[in-house]
Amino acid sequence: MSAFKEFSKGIYAENPVFKQALGLCPTLAVSNSVENGLGMGLAATFVLVCSNVIISLIRKSVPPKIRIPIYIVVIATFVTMIDLSMAGFFPALHKSLGIFVPLIVVNCIILGRAEAYAGKNNAGLSFLDGLGMGIGFTLALMLLGVIRELLGNGSLFGLPMLGAHFEPVLIMILPPGAFLTIGFVLGFFNWLENRRQNN
Amino acid sequence: MKDILKLSSILMLITTIAATALAAVYSVTKPRIELKKQEALNAAKSVALPGADLNAIYDVKGNDKVLYYSGYMDTTKSNLVGYAFLTSGRGYSSDIESIVGVDSTGNIIGIQVLSQTETPGLGTRIEEIRYGESLTWVQKQFIGKSAKNLAVDKDGGEIQSITGATISSRAVTNSIVAGYEDLLKQLKETN
Amino acid sequence: MELKSLFIISIGSIFINNFIFARFLGICPYIGVSKQLDSAVGMGAAVTFVMTLASTVTWLIYNYLLAPIEANIFYKLFSLSAPPDLTFLKTIAFILVIASLVQFVEMVIQKTSPALYKSLGIYLPLITTNCAILGVSLLNIDENYLFIESIVNGLSAGIGFTIALVLMAGIREKLELADVPKSMRGIPIAFIMAGLMAIAFLGFSGLKL
Repeated sequence: MSAFKEFSKGIYAENPVFKQALGLCPTLAVSNSVENGLGMGLAATFVLVCSNVIISLIRKSVPPKIRIPIYIVVIATFVTMIDLSMAGFFPALHKSLGIFVPLIVVNCIILGRAEAYAGKNNAGLSFLDGLGMGIGFTLALMLLGVIRELLGNGSLFGLPMLGAHFEPVLIMILPPGAFLTIGFVLGFFNWLENRRQNN
Repeated sequence: MKDILKLSSILMLITTIAATALAAVYSVTKPRIELKKQEALNAAKSVALPGADLNAIYDVKGNDKVLYYSGYMDTTKSNLVGYAFLTSGRGYSSDIESIVGVDSTGNIIGIQVLSQTETPGLGTRIEEIRYGESLTWVQKQFIGKSAKNLAVDKDGGEIQSITGATISSRAVTNSIVAGYEDLLKQLKETN
Repeated sequence: MELKSLFIISIGSIFINNFIFARFLGICPYIGVSKQLDSAVGMGAAVTFVMTLASTVTWLIYNYLLAPIEANIFYKLFSLSAPPDLTFLKTIAFILVIASLVQFVEMVIQKTSPALYKSLGIYLPLITTNCAILGVSLLNIDENYLFIESIVNGLSAGIGFTIALVLMAGIREKLELADVPKSMRGIPIAFIMAGLMAIAFLGFSGLKL
C-alpha cells in the first residue's frame, strides 16, 4: 500500500506542475503540441528515474557538503545520454524540442526530488517516486498540449480533429497562449481543491 | 585543507566516471546521428530532383565544400534532369533551410524544407500538407515557377503567403531567389 | 556592420525574443520573485550580471576546450592528429561552470562589498538552477555567435529578463488591492497577466531589422 502511494502521489496529489508549480519553463515552452509534450515528458521521466535510483544508491557515500554538485553531475550525465539518443533515433522531435532537452538539467523537479527524496530513501522507493513524478509531469505537459493544439491548430498529434470549418485560435499556440492556458488550468485545480475542502 | 582535498578528489572521481560513460554513449550514437542526417539528405535530394536516379546525383564541390548537386536520368550522365542547391533564410524563430531543384532553364522542379523550428501551426505550415490536399505549401507555391523573380504577395509577387506566417513565407521565397543566384554564379565558374 | 549586427542581436534578445515572454526561460524566479518591486530589481540585476559572465566563460570553454576546431587547446597541447570532438560534454561542463561561477561571485561580493551582498546576495543561490543562465549559454553556441556577440547577447537577455520582472512586479503590487476570485489568486492570475503582456510583446515580432 505504502509503495503504491509513493508512486501515485506524483500523479495527482503532489503533481509537480499543478500542485508544486515546478518545472514551469519546459511546461510552457513545449506544450504547443501533444507530441512535443509527450516527448519532453518521457525524456524528463527517464532522467528522473535514473538519477533518483543512482543518487539513492550512492547517498551514503556522498559527503553532505558537496552533495548538490554531485547530484548535478549525475543528472547532467543522464540528460546528455537522452539528448544524444534522441538525436540518433528521433531527429525531428529532438530538433523541435531544441535547447529544452539539455535544459532538463536545470528542471527544478529533478534536483528537487534528488534533494527531498532520493537522498533519504532506498533505491526501490526512489524509483517509484521518480516514475510517479515523471508520469505526473508528462500528463501535465500532455494536458496543456491537448488544450493548446486542439484550440490553436484544430488537431491532436498532428491529425486534424475539428474538421475543415474550424478556424484555429492562433494565439493558443503562440507564447501568450501558454501563459493563459496554464493560468486557467492552475485556477481550475485550485477551485477543485477549495471545493473539496469546503465539503 | 585535508578536507578540501578529499572533497575535490571525490568530485573528480564522479566527474571522470560521468565523462567516461558519456564518451561511451557518444561513440555509439554518433555514427547513427550522422547516418540519419545522410539518409534525410539523400531522401531530400530525390524529392528536389524528381526523375533523377539517386545514383546519378553528383556532388559538385569547390574548396572542399559541396556547392550544388547535379542530377541525371541515369549514370551515363547523358540526360541532365537539373541542379539542386541548399539554401537558408532567417524566418520568425529559426533559420529555414531547404533544398531546391531547378531544371536547366531555371524552373523549379522540386523543393523540400530540411530544417526549421518555426511556430507550430503557423510557420511550420510551409512544409505541412493541408487537409484534403496532396502537396506541401512549398511544393504548391514554387514548383513550375521560375526561380528568378519570386516574391510573396505582400511584396508584390505571386507567391501566396500563409496567413499569419508572412515572415516564414517570405524567408523561404527570398532564400530561393538568393540560392538560385548563387547557383548561376557557381555554374559559370565550374563549367 | 559589426556594430549593426550587435545592435540587432541586442534588440532581438531584449524585445523580440524576450527570455520570459517568447522563449520561456527563467519562469520560476519570474513567478517567485515578482511580488515586490525592490526584490524584482535586485533579482534582475543579479541575473543580468551572472548571465553576461556565464556567456563569456562558457563561450571560451566551448570554443577552446570542447569544439573540434583548430583552436582547441587539447589539440595543440598533446599535438593530436585531429581536433578532438568533446561537444558531448557541453551540458555537464556548462552547468558545473555556472554553479562554480555563482559560488565564486557570491564569495567575491561578500568579501568586497557587504552592502551589495545584502541587496543581491540572497538571490545568488537561486540563480544556479535558473534555466535562463544555462539557456543563454546554449543559445550562444546554437546560434554560432562570435565572442563579442555572445557577451552582448548575454547582457541583452539579462536586460530583457529584468524588464519583464520589473513590469510584472509593478502590476502585482497593485493587484494586491484587486478583488480576484479566490481560486485565481497568486500564481494563476500572475500567469494570466504574463499572457496579456506576452501578447503586447508579440507586437515586437513585426519589427524589421
